Amino acid sequence: MEPPKIWRERKERYLGIGIMCEDCKKKNFPKTRICPDCGSENVKPYKIAERGTLKYFTQIMNTGDELVFNTPYVVGLVELEDGIKVTAQIVDCDFKDLKKGIKLEQTFRVIARNGKEGLIKYGFKFRPI
Amino acid sequence: MSEKIGIVAYGVYIPRNRITVDEIASVWGEDANEIKMQLQVFEKSVPFPDEDVATMAVEAARNAIKQWRGESEKIGAIYVGSESHPYAVKPTATIVAAAIGAEGQTTAADLEFACKAGTAGMQMCFGLMQSNMIKVGLAIGSDSSQAKPKDPLEYTAGAGSAAFLIGKQNVIAELEGMYSYTSDTPDFWRREGATFPSHGQRFTGMPAYFDHIIKATKGLLEKINRKPEDYDYVTFHQPNTKFPLRVAKMLGFSKEQVEKSLACKYIGNTYSASSMIGFAKILDDAQPGDRVLVTSYGSGAGSDSFSFRITENIEKIRDRSKTVQYYIENKRNISYGLYSRYKGILKV
Amino acid sequence: MSNEVYIIGTGQTKFGEFFDLNIGDLASEAVSKAIKNAGIGKNEIRTLFIGSTVSNSLSQSSIGGICTRSCSLSSNAYRIESGNASGAAAFHHAFLSIKSGLYDVVVVLGIDKLSDYVQNGTIEKILASSIDYQWEYEMGATLTGLYSFLTQAHMEKYGTTLEQLAYIPTKNHQNGVLNPKAQYRYAIPIEKFLNAKRIADPIGRFDIATPCDGAAAIILASERYIENKKTHSYKVKILSSSVGSDTLALQHREKLTELKATKIAANDAYHKAKLTASDINLAEVHDSHPIGEILAIEDLGLVPKGEGGKASVEGLTALNGKITVNPSGGLKARGDPFGATGIAQLIEIVEQIRGNAGKRQVNDVQYGLTQNVMGTGVMSYVSILGRGEN
Repeated sequence: MEPPKIWRERKERYLGIGIMCEDCKKKNFPKTRICPDCGSENVKPYKIAERGTLKYFTQIMNTGDELVFNTPYVVGLVELEDGIKVTAQIVDCDFKDLKKGIKLEQTFRVIARNGKEGLIKYGFKFRPI
Repeated sequence: MSEKIGIVAYGVYIPRNRITVDEIASVWGEDANEIKMQLQVFEKSVPFPDEDVATMAVEAARNAIKQWRGESEKIGAIYVGSESHPYAVKPTATIVAAAIGAEGQTTAADLEFACKAGTAGMQMCFGLMQSNMIKVGLAIGSDSSQAKPKDPLEYTAGAGSAAFLIGKQNVIAELEGMYSYTSDTPDFWRREGATFPSHGQRFTGMPAYFDHIIKATKGLLEKINRKPEDYDYVTFHQPNTKFPLRVAKMLGFSKEQVEKSLACKYIGNTYSASSMIGFAKILDDAQPGDRVLVTSYGSGAGSDSFSFRITENIEKIRDRSKTVQYYIENKRNISYGLYSRYKGILKV
Repeated sequence: MSNEVYIIGTGQTKFGEFFDLNIGDLASEAVSKAIKNAGIGKNEIRTLFIGSTVSNSLSQSSIGGICTRSCSLSSNAYRIESGNASGAAAFHHAFLSIKSGLYDVVVVLGIDKLSDYVQNGTIEKILASSIDYQWEYEMGATLTGLYSFLTQAHMEKYGTTLEQLAYIPTKNHQNGVLNPKAQYRYAIPIEKFLNAKRIADPIGRFDIATPCDGAAAIILASERYIENKKTHSYKVKILSSSVGSDTLALQHREKLTELKATKIAANDAYHKAKLTASDINLAEVHDSHPIGEILAIEDLGLVPKGEGGKASVEGLTALNGKITVNPSGGLKARGDPFGATGIAQLIEIVEQIRGNAGKRQVNDVQYGLTQNVMGTGVMSYVSILGRGEN
């Protein structure tokens, strides 16, 4: 929960900014300086799709202290409409009612809180449409 | 006025959890029916542990931008009004700016004036617009209010957010005038470091809520030479449902004029967002040519009153984002146990 | 002369919770036993390779000097980190150091002490350091959460059932009863696994290997050294030590029904050992979660793809089944002191080859294989040991 890290990651966490390779046209998230698929340096910022499909999900009971405030919560592997896959929390749902394959959309939530006095980390999660 | 200025888009957000008056009353052995009759509030909204004023403000702002279909980088001012900002020092408005892609050449600030900090932001945006200092401004009222357990406020202290984009192009609700009334009235307060607000019980009524709303509204009507019957809809701050109904009557508005705005029945008092959500609920159904009067109230105390005329542009932006009714209906009820965990009353 | 590499001695602490012992105490016991077992002098040791995931990384991450002083060694020492496969990674580098002709005798020590981290959430955070911390853990996943995805993918594609999965820890606990070094020396009925609270559905509370304390050491020697000394009664030959890799995060993988890193490592290991999977009847694999063992035996080619669950239920992988898998009790019953696990796996194979495995002795052991996995399979280490020609 270090200030420089939260600052550096904000475009990725708030807006889902990854990269698109101008050469091989592949999209990737999170961003890298060169394309992880073809190695080209010719990459530009790319905003990941806001909607996707739930591929796998589980309910997390135990985790690290900065995330534990929200347990039990659902985490899922989400395949976005642009083919990018991300791991993220699924909110506004009850675990027992969730089904693989449902449609999801991005939402903006608190990811972690560093105690009562530290910084708050915000970022994207998903909710059923 | 040479050029029309006004609302170009709006968006709201209300968290999905609700707790009923019955559930709260059962914990304290109170008569739920009596409370419901008195307040005319049935349930209130409760945020999840991973929601706060900033996340709700972002959701509302994104809904407004979706409706607007403009470019976020053009937003020249961002104001977030709240009495429950997540940080005491560090702005919510910068989080909103980053999360809507509007970092850069914009001014931003957090505002606090109890329940009217959101409309204070609207006024500031109108001012910047009128003086041609910005092209588009974003004013947000967002609150996740705290109430001491067993306090009468516990039945109504809800959570929600409303965002208004203010500009000159494609105005959906043209500003016809605004008027404010302010006095130093200690009806409701929270000291630095205190978890829960305190209030002056019956003192929050006549000398506070009613006096300021009446003076601001009458002031506006006089200033722009209008009468209550010139309006199709009116919305006031909604600490409960009884107060706006009573103040409407005192000002000479009918029940029908105010009724459409009353979201409080289902979501409680959303503080800085309250009169703005009421306004958004009206806009969701308003027709071109309709006149709407909005008067907020913030303890401490003050009221901002606005007169709007709905333009034909309202037809174009309909169904582009979620309505107040959508959020009212998108809910799940929770127990007092879960409520106390979500609100941090239950310490872990 | 070729430059084959041999294991000439082993030593191990019991695995478990040792609140009164520190890293140095554990290291000293394992290394001293190994040196004694090998019958060598301490001054012959050139380097100490330490495989440790955590060591005391929340305070003392450079544990080389701690270990050499505690073991009364004057050699140099390196700590090698490769998540939960740190032991196998250290072994791999020790193997290379002799294979290259640089050293003749080295010690590999696998060690971790996890019972210090008694506060909630710390172990989850340590485990998160071997998955994508930023884009998996910080997004809400845990190692077990991600193993849940791997489990679901396998269940979906191959029809693997919860009963089949529960058979893995049941069998490994049965084996653990026979292992004096194991943390849990008791059998657990299958119902207990099936009825337990799901902590990351479909993974239950008792399905997961428990982090604990332990140290395990191996002495490696060159062929040259052995020929000169001729003192070592029973040497075990390292036929191959291989590693494969994959993406760190599951979201960047094509499929979740296999561990690609294990397949790559296994192919290389079989090739270098001039063996095929059908030659193997003994394996120690990474069963930190039940699906881990199923993926291992499939991706190592020991059973056909998709049939790991069925094979387990049919007893193919039971003690003295067609292929004995995890006779030691595996990570599940032996306990999982992360860095020590990879070395303990190798020691189990050495003991089996030497015929010293007591009640859990596997018949006709010619070769034995180990597989140790980092995180959800970003790195997988496969080694094959065989009888040294005597």
